[in-house]
Amino acid sequence: MSENLPAAETTSGSPVSLGAWARPRNPKGILDWLTTVDHKKIGIMYGAAALFFLIIGGAAALLIRLQLAVPADSPEDAIFSGDTYNRIFTMHGTVMIFLVVMPIGAAFANYLIPLMIGARDVAFPRINAFSFWVFLVGGIMLNTSWFLGGSPNGGWFNYAPNTGVTFNPDVGIDYWNIALILTGIGSLTGAINLITTILNMRAPGMTFMRMPVFIWMSLVTQFLLLFAIPVLTVAQVLLMMDRTFDANFFNTTMGGDPLLWQHLFWIFGHPEVYLMILPAFGIVSEVIPAFARKPIFGYPFMVFSGIAIGFMGFGVWAHHMFVSGLGPLSVTAFAVATMFIAVPTGVKVLNWVATMWGGKIILNTAMLFAIGLVTQFTVGGLSGVSHAFASSDTQQTDTYYIVAHFHYVLFGGALFGFMAGFYFWWPKIFGYKLSESIGKANFWLMVIGFNLTFGPMHVLGLQGMPRRMDSYSSVQGFTFWNQVASFGSLILAIGTLLVLHNAFASHRKWVAAGRPNVGADPWDARTLEWMIQSPAPTHNFDTTPTVTGLDELWRRKFNKDEDGNWERVASGDELAQPGNGKGVHLPAPSYWPLALALSMVPIAYGLVYSLWLTIPGAIMLMASMFGWALEPADDLDAPDDHHLEGASA
Amino acid sequence: MNFSKSHSRKFITSAGLALVLASCAEDKPLNTFEPAGPKAQTIYDLMTPLVWIIMAIIFVLVVGGTLLIVVKGRVTEDEYNPDELPAQIHGNTKLEWGWTIAPFLLLAALSFPMVQSIWELEGKNAEGELDVMVIGQQWWWEYRYDVDGDGFFRDGNGDGVVDEKDEELPLEISLDRDDVVTATELVIPTDEQVDLTIASRDVIHSFWIPRLNGKRDAVPGRLHTWSVQADEPGKYTGWCTEFCGLSHARMRMSTIALAPEQFEAWLENQANPAEVPTDTSALAGREIFAQNCVSCHVVREAGDAPEGVTAIAYAEDFVAPLDSGAAPDLTHFATRSSFAGGIYGVYVGDLGDPNDDALDAGDYLALSQLAETQDSGYRFNSPELKRWVANASSRKDMDPDSLQGMPSFNQLTEEQLDDVVSYLQSLD
Repeated sequence: MSENLPAAETTSGSPVSLGAWARPRNPKGILDWLTTVDHKKIGIMYGAAALFFLIIGGAAALLIRLQLAVPADSPEDAIFSGDTYNRIFTMHGTVMIFLVVMPIGAAFANYLIPLMIGARDVAFPRINAFSFWVFLVGGIMLNTSWFLGGSPNGGWFNYAPNTGVTFNPDVGIDYWNIALILTGIGSLTGAINLITTILNMRAPGMTFMRMPVFIWMSLVTQFLLLFAIPVLTVAQVLLMMDRTFDANFFNTTMGGDPLLWQHLFWIFGHPEVYLMILPAFGIVSEVIPAFARKPIFGYPFMVFSGIAIGFMGFGVWAHHMFVSGLGPLSVTAFAVATMFIAVPTGVKVLNWVATMWGGKIILNTAMLFAIGLVTQFTVGGLSGVSHAFASSDTQQTDTYYIVAHFHYVLFGGALFGFMAGFYFWWPKIFGYKLSESIGKANFWLMVIGFNLTFGPMHVLGLQGMPRRMDSYSSVQGFTFWNQVASFGSLILAIGTLLVLHNAFASHRKWVAAGRPNVGADPWDARTLEWMIQSPAPTHNFDTTPTVTGLDELWRRKFNKDEDGNWERVASGDELAQPGNGKGVHLPAPSYWPLALALSMVPIAYGLVYSLWLTIPGAIMLMASMFGWALEPADDLDAPDDHHLEGASA
Repeated sequence: MNFSKSHSRKFITSAGLALVLASCAEDKPLNTFEPAGPKAQTIYDLMTPLVWIIMAIIFVLVVGGTLLIVVKGRVTEDEYNPDELPAQIHGNTKLEWGWTIAPFLLLAALSFPMVQSIWELEGKNAEGELDVMVIGQQWWWEYRYDVDGDGFFRDGNGDGVVDEKDEELPLEISLDRDDVVTATELVIPTDEQVDLTIASRDVIHSFWIPRLNGKRDAVPGRLHTWSVQADEPGKYTGWCTEFCGLSHARMRMSTIALAPEQFEAWLENQANPAEVPTDTSALAGREIFAQNCVSCHVVREAGDAPEGVTAIAYAEDFVAPLDSGAAPDLTHFATRSSFAGGIYGVYVGDLGDPNDDALDAGDYLALSQLAETQDSGYRFNSPELKRWVANASSRKDMDPDSLQGMPSFNQLTEEQLDDVVSYLQSLD
């Protein structure tokens, strides 16, 4: 375990300076963030980047709702042209999935996993930084397409052959392809890193069945990423071969098969759905016990249902293809499999409800959002079961009913879970609580706006409105509910923006009050991360705690007396580590993760525009890899790094 | 819960109900809850009432139960005592197995009718009944009827035999000269299952007439089978439901069900070649058409054209400079009620909008005659057709520069446009 590492050994030798470039020493300001390998800073950067992209994806969503607020009988009645609209909805989906929901999950995983398992950092800190930077490079590259020749217009699912060069000669599809290969590299390296961290770096005594549910769900998520992302990357490389090098994987006139794309995409795409929602499931599995003041109901069922979802998630991909002509036998097999994936998901919902049952429920914002997930996700789960009825799905697929379904799952599910997580862990991350009054407004506006926006889409879909439509006719009967949805989207947008307002307003108030200490354990919570000061000190734990059971902190706070009643023996603040650890060995910052990620820029743009550009990119890439490999193991001379004080003692 | 809250809740509920009712009053031509044929009925019966009701019950139990538990268990800030804990229950194995196994059994039971319906939808019609090939391309649908019963539309080389030689040709471009080719509107007889063979010439499309059946994708390089059947004469609108590029939103279609004897009359007329018009303007229009339009469009004419008039292209001469390699066959253009992928009416007036389901199936056969009668309520939609011919991509998102969709012909004078439109009107 990490605390047993003989830190002294590394300091006893003479300072190593093999590297072409010394590691940055005590960087300050922006350089600190650019070179950091601290999982907490990387987690914060993931979150900040995701919120930035959320604004872009949200703006695209509002433009979609603006367009659909009025019917258009002919193109001149429409606000945006079909071409513009197609680009907007493609970017909305792509940005929200790859640049918002996935990185918010990564933000929580990065920040919380080491803290919740009692570790110093992740297993490979520099790779962690690289994962983030290459994600950011990919995300920014994708969004530069708005200005450089047009954003992608093939939908987030990017079906071949509509995305082949014959039907789609402009560079948007190349941007989509290559930018997402980059974010995929980030997800893959991140997954390997976090799996290694969870498997190898848990505090002494934290057996698998003592890991918090969030850690379990993160572990399943990372395994899903590990096996799903490469499939997408393979599909994207095939498409790139088709587009850039005249290959024929999806070219039907040369014997290629467009269904190959669909199979590859959805073998990635369905696990993708679960890897977006499972982190949120993990979050509410921590929030609900904390505010119902009860342990999670049926911990083993929660864990194993999560694992079951992970496995089954790989066996149901073709339910996205029920109308693509698979033949009735395949449809039957996948339909039945899809029905049964509802079982473990239902177990989770019922276990959350049972956790709240008989509890003393504190209805603060975090808990409201967690309850929001339980109720809204249930709607999405039920509509999901109705798609599993494959013959019924022939009416529903590619209509607004599906749009309603997955927004209930991804917005009402994942995003509400993330909001619960923001409100819950904010004091641990930033040292102050978010305002409850703004928070409640935030919740109610979001839940009302959300249901007004996506509730009517169930009706629209069943009344026959297909999705990905830049316009509909005034006689098709879709006008009314589209207008309700567009109105709802405004409320939803305001509600969502309130979380940003809350962050700034609460911070101002906190600073004005002289930055009072929020305490190590402001919620009287259950897990290890509340045993350290807020905000979390750079070195996490002064000494690695020894774990004796599930909800370690809770066990230390309460004791069962002879009558079987629970009585408090200590408060969280009394148990908290003071945060003055000495002799803690921490990984030093490095330039190379950023440099390596930046070397992808010329390669990526080169693959879009001109292969010549890939040559300087490849040189940068090689240089960065050598720099990385030859970098001194640590900066041992840092004189004012208090964490190293006494390291050799 | 206090008084004002419950009042406001009541208000919201009743306002919501009023909204639902208001929206029900509107016409819903694509409504999946109004099946009009046995296939759509199969799907409707599978879900209604059983599955929807089970789902509604589960929804009410879970969400209602959650809210009840939260309201009952709620502790306000004043009441909250951090040292007082509720009973610390870690779980209940029996209960948890119960709610694992119960939904499993419920879903297992429901999967039987579900699987049965999957196979029911795949059922084929009897030998000798009507088969139609449906071909999707950016952004309209083509239909080919096997009129002469010579074994479908697969006699690609036109030698009267369906054999291996035909199979060498790409199926979606092969054409049996005897067969009827139409666009945008699939005309079918009532009370008969019409089997469809669905293909695509370019990207993936999806054929969907919600009131008659679910949807099935048109995938290039593959032939998919599906079927439609309508109980009553009438018009059933549909929409391409797989994203197919620029003008996906304006790739619509409809199915027009006619009484069997009317359908026979319609089919007989469609099988005839186009007549050369006698009207001067239409004849001039035919000339312009032959010079400008035949590289993409087809009008089938019989025998030799009269002297002095350029012959119109036949199917085998037809080489469209489009990615899809095809533009609508216009042989009987004036018998259709809509064009441009079903977004504009060929006729206007009592016909209603192409996107709604108002159509007198009795009048459908006689649209061109009715339009010539002053007070019939039908008019040929010359203004829209002129706008379309002059600059099609201003009326529907298209990109002729990338070989997608119809180029503009704004070099034609106003008079020439009138001539072309009168020629189109003569094609009945």
